[in-house]
Amino acid sequence: MKTFIKKAAVALLAASTFLSAASYAQQEVKVGMSGGYFPFTFSKKDVLQGYEVDVWNEIAKRSDYKVEFVTSSFSGLFGMLDAGHIDTIANQITITDARLAKYAFSTPYVIDGVQITVRKGRDDIESFEDLKGKKVLVNLGSNFEAVLRKYDANNEINIVTLDSNIEQDVALGRADAFVMDRVSATQLIKEAGLPLQLAGEPFEEIKNAMPFVNKPSQLEIRDQVNVALAAMREDGTLEAISKKWFGVDITK
Amino acid sequence: MHSSFDLQYVLELMPILLKYLGVTMQMALWGFLFALMLALFLALVKVFKIPFIHHLASLFISFFRGTPLLVQLFLLYYGLPQFLPFLIGMDAFTAAVIGLTLHFSAYMAESMRAAILGIDKSQMEACLSLGMTRLQAMRRVILPQASRVATPSLMNYFIDMIKSTSLAFTLGVAEIMAKAQMEASSSFKFFESYMAVAVVYWVVVIIFTRIQNMLEKKLNEAY
Repeated sequence: MKTFIKKAAVALLAASTFLSAASYAQQEVKVGMSGGYFPFTFSKKDVLQGYEVDVWNEIAKRSDYKVEFVTSSFSGLFGMLDAGHIDTIANQITITDARLAKYAFSTPYVIDGVQITVRKGRDDIESFEDLKGKKVLVNLGSNFEAVLRKYDANNEINIVTLDSNIEQDVALGRADAFVMDRVSATQLIKEAGLPLQLAGEPFEEIKNAMPFVNKPSQLEIRDQVNVALAAMREDGTLEAISKKWFGVDITK
Repeated sequence: MHSSFDLQYVLELMPILLKYLGVTMQMALWGFLFALMLALFLALVKVFKIPFIHHLASLFISFFRGTPLLVQLFLLYYGLPQFLPFLIGMDAFTAAVIGLTLHFSAYMAESMRAAILGIDKSQMEACLSLGMTRLQAMRRVILPQASRVATPSLMNYFIDMIKSTSLAFTLGVAEIMAKAQMEASSSFKFFESYMAVAVVYWVVVIIFTRIQNMLEKKLNEAY
């Protein structure tokens, strides 16, 4: 029995030295993203890149974090956040009341608007009012469904949620329009080579930030991220990253 | 549509997909190996009607056959860690293998049980009259014959399992479907990307169908 206690004590001691040694190493932060959301986060020739990737590499540099990007389909990201598989999500996440009630957000780093997009040549849809009686697509897990439903008090819009490829469906004429943020819609039209066009002006301002689980260890990371973001905004780095990917400053 | 099929892009995408084919196949092979073991256990428990445990086996089979694989994967990876914190450490690959194992073992147990029950009862009786135990009879006489009967349907499940690994991207496993989707999102060549990944799955399945044919020939040698 005595030797067992001795052995256990030695093992404990060894473990504690190991743990304290580990704490000197850089803290690892796991950042979830879909990897399928051009140009925020996407993969080209098997290299993960985009606005979110650059922003996080810069945050990591400034806060001495080691960042690990975890790619998962968008609908799985919040589940991973809740289950503790990742520390935050960098995927142009919009701050909403429902999310604010549950998560602690970083300061916003993208300011944007909700935009309707239609197939090229269609002129019958120019505002939210024109969507009534139409089939409108939104991405699964995004907040645009909630935004649409908020405006669509009488359930007059046929809102359909898809996991991916909403732009393809509208370009093919299977649906009348899709709704996403203006920045992504503009990029899509520019890059996709699909016959699409923006319909009218954005109808609601949206702010994007990174959500964290509301507990002390995570709030600590959030605060570090905010410090880094503020410094990046101050010295123009954030604007530079934005211009690199979008050609314009989407951070104000 | 304005665009034509971009073969060059497919050729560029192929090496990327092949690089991650290992992840897909490891998930399928580990899943199938564990599912075979679990399914055999479940099938034997049900055939021998082991008191109490066979009710649990039936409940297990009922649940994992009765709910979608995607729901089970979500439960395992996103749901359970909220109640069992030690599961947070489980990586997505492990979760996917466990999910595939549990799901497919339920189906496979039933086809193994059917194969075992298909062997004439008189054989078991003959073994018992020779002084073998029921377990010995199972191992020496019944299972070798049953495995021949079960092979085609078990291979069916293996093929299904290979394709079901494409759901693992919802857990964050970087397998071939994930890569096809991610590459498509920046190139906007959806047709090419999904066609490429479809061809990879298809070729893999063709290879395993060949292996199945050889295996069946070998198992049929005695007949």
